[in-house]
Amino acid sequence: MRRALRLAAAIAAKDIRAELRSRTALISALVFAALVLVVFNFARDPTSLAATALAPSVLWVTFALAAMVAMNRAFMIERENSALDGLLLAPVPREALFLGKLLANLAFVGTVELVTLPLFTLFFNISLLPRLPGFLAVTALATIGFVAVGTIFSAMAVRTRFAELMLPVLLLPFMVPPLIGAVQVTSRLLADRPLSELWGWLRLLALYDVVFVTLCTLAFSAVVDE
Amino acid sequence: MTSPRTQAQSPFRVLRRGFGLSAVGLVGLAVVYVVALGYTPVEARQGLAQKIFYLHVPAAWSALLAFSLVGLASLLYLWLHDPRLDRFAAASAEVGVAFSLVMLTTGPIWAKPIWGTWWTWDARLTLTLFLFFLFVGYLALRAAVQDPHERARFSAVVGILGMLLVPFIHLSVYLFRTLHPQPIVLKPSAPSLPPEMLRTLLLSTVVFTVLYLGLVTLRYGIALAEEAREAAADG
Amino acid sequence: MGEPPDNGAYLVAAYVVTAAILIGYWLRLWRLARKSGAGAEKRTR
Repeated sequence: MRRALRLAAAIAAKDIRAELRSRTALISALVFAALVLVVFNFARDPTSLAATALAPSVLWVTFALAAMVAMNRAFMIERENSALDGLLLAPVPREALFLGKLLANLAFVGTVELVTLPLFTLFFNISLLPRLPGFLAVTALATIGFVAVGTIFSAMAVRTRFAELMLPVLLLPFMVPPLIGAVQVTSRLLADRPLSELWGWLRLLALYDVVFVTLCTLAFSAVVDE
Repeated sequence: MTSPRTQAQSPFRVLRRGFGLSAVGLVGLAVVYVVALGYTPVEARQGLAQKIFYLHVPAAWSALLAFSLVGLASLLYLWLHDPRLDRFAAASAEVGVAFSLVMLTTGPIWAKPIWGTWWTWDARLTLTLFLFFLFVGYLALRAAVQDPHERARFSAVVGILGMLLVPFIHLSVYLFRTLHPQPIVLKPSAPSLPPEMLRTLLLSTVVFTVLYLGLVTLRYGIALAEEAREAAADG
Repeated sequence: MGEPPDNGAYLVAAYVVTAAILIGYWLRLWRLARKSGAGAEKRTR
């Protein structure tokens, strides 16, 4: 078990290092997220709804879209370099391989989110710092949900003919429960509600993560092995 | 590698069984139409439109049945690697789309006169919408993968994940809705159904189940026939 | 006791659409079966 985790960490580290070397993907994803935020600002009637009412939805739709774009790209690069095939030939347990990919994707998407968050507070005039722990918690939980299912689906989508279309079509229904939970928690955080009101939703997010990380880890072998 | 047992399944026999069963189902549907429209009493508050209920609810049941069986077949496929399970799952998914469509069309047509609005995000309608998207995604994935073994494996993974998504959708939509109670003018299904209505509902549910089985058998037979034809063309 | 609302048109619409979907799907399957099943049948004869 420990060996598997160490392998996963090694795989993740390799991916992250490769990403840090080129950085174009990371920058493009950041720009994408920022642009989506800007589009949302203009895609509303400023006189009818207060910005704060829509803010949680805007944030989470942005995060969901950015996560999808990021994960799609991650496996595309892999495919181009046939790097995955090399890993598959080695006696690496598939669960460790998946967890490694998951961690790398989490690092990537997490970075995009962490940089987008200050932009969000800027555009929507929201004070984030007093609510930071709550924000970090909900972002971590929801993102794990997005990325777990997204990683296994992008591994599949990249082998299909219409990969860019296939991933959203498969993934979006799965993003809905974490999205609902995240928006509920975020809007309560912005309204400074007590922790007792957040607890139920946070537990739902955590349950989703446990179920789907486990499931996807176990199912990964069916995707990559003949 | 096909086992001798799978090759013994004659496409023609399966097709014939499928045609027979689905024909029975369609005749049964006609019977349901006659019974629901002609013999079942009209509900006083909702009027004639309430009778849509006798199609809407059984269709939902069939869609859910189709979906659960896709999930179950997917799970069994990853365990047993029997291509018959994969073929069945694909058939069930396609038939599930048909029943979901019935549900998603009769739902709004029923909602408009009763609730005054075409769409309501109520639990059943929302869940069926998700089932519809999951079915479509499943079938789109199958269409996009060429290799049959890879297609079977990928579909099975989506089938299993989809099956586990359903309780989460149900839960989060339910929690979401209890925050925003929808103004309900009339409850669509009375708390206790009079016996004639219950009987019609039961009849319709049985007919829809028979239809499901017939259509799946038919679709399965078509898949068998197509595979046989391709094998003969290659050989 | 009031009159039940006059919404028969919706009833007709729903019943027609349902029949159209189910019979339409069945017909599609029938056509597919003719295309693939008949060919195989001829070969076995």
